[in-house]
Amino acid sequence: MKQILISVIALFVLFSVQTIQAKDDSCLNCHRDLGDSPSGLFLTDVHYKNGLSCSDCHGGNKNSDDMEVSMSKSEGFVGVPKGNKISEICSSCHSDKDKMTALGASVKTDQYENLVNSVHGKLSVNGTERIVQCTTCHNAHGIRKVNDKLSPVYPVNIPSTCVKCHGNADYMKNYNSALPVDQLTKYRTSVHGELNKQGNPKAAECASCHGSHNILSSKDVRSSVYKLNIPATCSKCHSDKEYMKEFNIPVDQMAKYEKSAHGKAVFEKQDISAPVCNDCHGNHGAVPPGLSAVSNVCGSCHVINAQLFSESPHKAAFDKAKYPECETCHGNHEILSAKDQLLGIKEGAVCVKCHSETNSQKGYMVAARMSSTIDTLLALQKKANDLVFQAEQKGMEVEEAKYTLREIHQARLESRTIIHSFSEKKFSEVTDKGIAAAGVVVGEAQNAIDEFYFRRYGLVAAILIISFLMIVIFLYVRKIERT
Amino acid sequence: MDSRLQLSDLVKFMSKKYVPVHSHSVWYYFGGVSLFLFILQVVTGILLLFYYKGSSDQAYESVQFIMSKVEFGWLIRSIHAWSANLFILSVFIHMFSVFFEKAYRKPRELTWITGFFLFVLSLAFGFSGYLLPWNELAFFATKVGTDITGAVPFIGEPLKVFLRGGDDVTGATLSRFFGFHVALFPGIFVFLLILHLLFVQRQGMSEPIEASIKKEKLKTMPFFPNFFLRDLLLWLLVLNIIAILAVFFPAELGMKADPLAPAPAGIKPEWYFLFMFQTLKYFPAHILFIEGEVAGVLLFAVAGVLWLLVPFWDTKSSRGQLNRKINYLGVFAVLFIIILTIIGWIT
Repeated sequence: MKQILISVIALFVLFSVQTIQAKDDSCLNCHRDLGDSPSGLFLTDVHYKNGLSCSDCHGGNKNSDDMEVSMSKSEGFVGVPKGNKISEICSSCHSDKDKMTALGASVKTDQYENLVNSVHGKLSVNGTERIVQCTTCHNAHGIRKVNDKLSPVYPVNIPSTCVKCHGNADYMKNYNSALPVDQLTKYRTSVHGELNKQGNPKAAECASCHGSHNILSSKDVRSSVYKLNIPATCSKCHSDKEYMKEFNIPVDQMAKYEKSAHGKAVFEKQDISAPVCNDCHGNHGAVPPGLSAVSNVCGSCHVINAQLFSESPHKAAFDKAKYPECETCHGNHEILSAKDQLLGIKEGAVCVKCHSETNSQKGYMVAARMSSTIDTLLALQKKANDLVFQAEQKGMEVEEAKYTLREIHQARLESRTIIHSFSEKKFSEVTDKGIAAAGVVVGEAQNAIDEFYFRRYGLVAAILIISFLMIVIFLYVRKIERT
Repeated sequence: MDSRLQLSDLVKFMSKKYVPVHSHSVWYYFGGVSLFLFILQVVTGILLLFYYKGSSDQAYESVQFIMSKVEFGWLIRSIHAWSANLFILSVFIHMFSVFFEKAYRKPRELTWITGFFLFVLSLAFGFSGYLLPWNELAFFATKVGTDITGAVPFIGEPLKVFLRGGDDVTGATLSRFFGFHVALFPGIFVFLLILHLLFVQRQGMSEPIEASIKKEKLKTMPFFPNFFLRDLLLWLLVLNIIAILAVFFPAELGMKADPLAPAPAGIKPEWYFLFMFQTLKYFPAHILFIEGEVAGVLLFAVAGVLWLLVPFWDTKSSRGQLNRKINYLGVFAVLFIIILTIIGWIT
């Protein structure tokens, strides 16, 4: 009963305010009498509810009942604003902090500036007006607050708002013919899209990643969707424990990714060829983790590894056991640089996850032998490096040996690829090349060191012989000069 | 052997030659040391020619091959490089000792002139040989050096193009310098050297001017075997020094020249050009209407001509009188070269 009473009083107050406002506003009175759509929509407008009138945007005198006076140019009547004029009129209040404070609004006052600098503000077909004005997304009359479910910019409604232009190929090709127009279709296949469709306002929509007023091209380094900024953009939500609570998924992806080989390449080397979130999960059609589609993404960059794995006996075994291909050994977000320790039977080796002395013994033995070969190659490489360094320190010419050193390193790199064939024969072919090269380098460097000592001993011998000759000549000269 | 070649006649002839003995006799030996070092240059140069390839795409690799694969190749190249430097040092000392002793005075004007041109050729040997390994330092030093040649008025630009074999230092420059270094310069050098030695042989060693004034009869020693064996003793000492330098500081090769790469910082010419290079740095951009660099080159050219013609304008010495101004001039020249070389080296 109490609730009904409060509702009735609230409705009465609202009606009374509207009646008083309408009574004072000749524009609204006349247009309502005409029954046009804008005046009808305006009654639901947030601006109307805050005491603004038609004349605040359109100009004119709202107090005069005489149409000639109220809509005269001398009264500042501008009629229907066109092009950039629309946003300029909005910004006359929305960019003015004092006005906004006076109206009791707490919205930001940098939207217009952001819009002007955004891709929507910069691109233009006719060169005279922006692609997007405030009304393009917010509507002209009947503008509602962002958190109003009926607002076109309410999170759940944003995809439908953006797609009005971004889903229209005829319209979009005027601005950027290379830009796809199927983003919404893809988005609906993603987890984000599905949640959005269910009306969840927390699910990521267009503005969550691209921003709202300040949207920039993904090629712009300032853009939130520029390749190197994507991890930070995704982690805004995905690393927020509170925000993600209801979705029941981990929030440590970013922390893990930062430690990974890919993350280091992105954050430390600013390497734009390294994968970020959307390279594996997709962007508009983001694929959730756990699906086979994510596993298959690795092969798009690590082509040879993926191909070797597909041809290896592990492929069938993994498929049978329903193991994801790459993640089983390398993990996902925290993919570390491949180390030799991954191979073998010692601590840190991944082979022993499936192979043991009792179970799948053949694989266990092969892993042990392969690991031992790599250890041998590594030891030989170290020895070769040390000897070359020593020879160089002694001032010996070992450029050729230094060049051959690269072959050992190359063999180690190749071994990390060929290991995905899980064929001992193929693996040995690669490592044997490295072991042979190491033998050559060790021999050459040792010869150079021996040569160094030979030169020293040779010098001593030469000095002794020459000095002996000098003494003989000196004594002979003394002898003949005495006589 | 003697009945066939009459060597005893030669020994008899040489033993009749006498070398004056006095407190400045030590300077006589630097002519012989220079000759010995030149012989070393010829011998090691011929050995290097067996493996060196004078083209821009093979020169660096061939020197690398000499240094790492050829038996004693490192030693031959290091001796060639060190003896080249010592040769120029010895030639400098020999020339200044002759200058201070006024040994250029009448009747030895032609010995001085041939000696002067031998000195210039020695520097040209050094400049042309420096480029031959085709490494980074040599490439850019040659670029700077030939650029300076271009500053000579009137003939500078054509001379620069002639030296480079084009507008820039390229493989054509290397081929040209190789030709100069192993054919043209040795040919002219040997001709001048024979003349120089013939003049010395004909006129004998110059005696100090003070002895002539006092009409003092100097002691002498036979050229053969006494002076010859003393010379040999010094040559062996120099050989010992070169062997030590070659083993402890073998000639370096550095990076291969890359004409498209930027010049490395601190490019300097060889030490014997440093005093000229450093002097040119001190010249202002313009002196009256002449460019500073042109003025500097002109100044060195005038100084060179005056140096060449010293027997003709130092008439006092030629008349057998003491000329202290020549000594002051010589001391100034020596101090100038030493100080500017040190500044050029450390900056």
